[in-house]
Amino acid sequence: MNRIYIAGIDEIPQHSTLEDNDELKVTIICPPGYNGVVNFGIDILRPGVSLDLAGLYICTRGERQRFNIAVRHLCPGASSRQLFKGVLDRGGNAVFDGLIHVAHGAGQTKAFQENHSLLLDETSSSETHPQLEIYADDVECSHGATIGSLSEEERFYMCSRGIPSEEARHMQILSFLSPVLSRIPEDERLSLMRRFRIL
Amino acid sequence: MDMLEIRNLHASVEGKEILRGVNLTVPAGEVHALMGPNGAGKSTLGAVLTGRPGYTVTEGSVLFKGQDLLSLKPEERSWAGLFMSFQYPVEIPGVSYSAFMKAALDARRRASGKDPLSASEFLKLLSDRMAFVQMKPEFAKREVNVGFSGGEKKRAEVFQMAMLNPDFSILDETDSGLDVDALKIVADGVNALRSPGKSALVITHYKRLLEMVRPDRVHVLKAGQVVAEGGFELVEQIENEGYDSIR
Repeated sequence: MNRIYIAGIDEIPQHSTLEDNDELKVTIICPPGYNGVVNFGIDILRPGVSLDLAGLYICTRGERQRFNIAVRHLCPGASSRQLFKGVLDRGGNAVFDGLIHVAHGAGQTKAFQENHSLLLDETSSSETHPQLEIYADDVECSHGATIGSLSEEERFYMCSRGIPSEEARHMQILSFLSPVLSRIPEDERLSLMRRFRIL
Repeated sequence: MDMLEIRNLHASVEGKEILRGVNLTVPAGEVHALMGPNGAGKSTLGAVLTGRPGYTVTEGSVLFKGQDLLSLKPEERSWAGLFMSFQYPVEIPGVSYSAFMKAALDARRRASGKDPLSASEFLKLLSDRMAFVQMKPEFAKREVNVGFSGGEKKRAEVFQMAMLNPDFSILDETDSGLDVDALKIVADGVNALRSPGKSALVITHYKRLLEMVRPDRVHVLKAGQVVAEGGFELVEQIENEGYDSIR
């Protein structure tokens, strides 16, 4: 099952459950122009299931985007993975709140969360607040966050091959977003990118 | 005509002067070697010629095909026909080799007022050049240099050189860490570009590559200056007696 939600267009489920599917893939896209909050919450209820959750956000021109993401493991032996990647530009500000909750008795849970932000200028900012609430033993959980800028070395390498600096910059941003973008089927991806002028 | 004419080039990195008056000329149609001990400034010279950020030219000039090279942006230097095989090629996740090469070729063609290659022309060129450096076709779909071994990265640099068909190629220690077979591919790459209108500067520590490409002239860089120039006998001298024998 592969669900794709676009903030501002699709209704993103604030309270959902994972029980029936063995594997659920959810991708949340927060396009430029979206100024608001994304709430996504899911309760994992059946042992053995896995959640693969990813999101990308592009926050520009003074927009403020908020992410309240909650993954609750309420049964033992399930797994979840979260990957959120954001690009911030021209005064954009994003705050990512990501909760991993592992309930009493939800042993052998595997839950991972990553949030990476790319700041394109000095007026943009990004915050990450990972929260791990773990009430069970024998679990494997982790979170990681990075905030970085475009690599000058990478850009120089591309330019040295004749790729103009601005085009190289676009390729770098796409390169950064590619782990999430690649989850969207190609035709849908291209129309999304055109529609929201994601480069 | 001279392809490259470096005159009294001084350059520094973070305020430290590395190049201290380099004079070096490479005529069109010739392959030259640049040798020198570690820290002599060989890679700095390559960096300055290609316009890498962080290097400041404090004095001197570089003419490339009669044009002031140092006033050009890195991509403009490429469009003018300059190429450097990097000592440490950069990995670009999420960008395939074919997309990377298409972007590079299209931009270069645009800069000279040509239409981009059609998809079929591009793919033909791509597969032809990959075969030339004995890269497996699946590398075209792989992300640029991601997960490549050291040898594969160097081979991919030669592939890029063959794709872009530059007038002047700088090979910055492309032979380091290569086995004999990979070394032959690098040498073949340089030799294939040999023609009256093309030149190369091969930066190396080793005789083996130079035996295969037979440079027309050898320059020795020490402490930021060219201290000796000559023929292949200089390579032999360095191999046998070391850089200390050259004053």
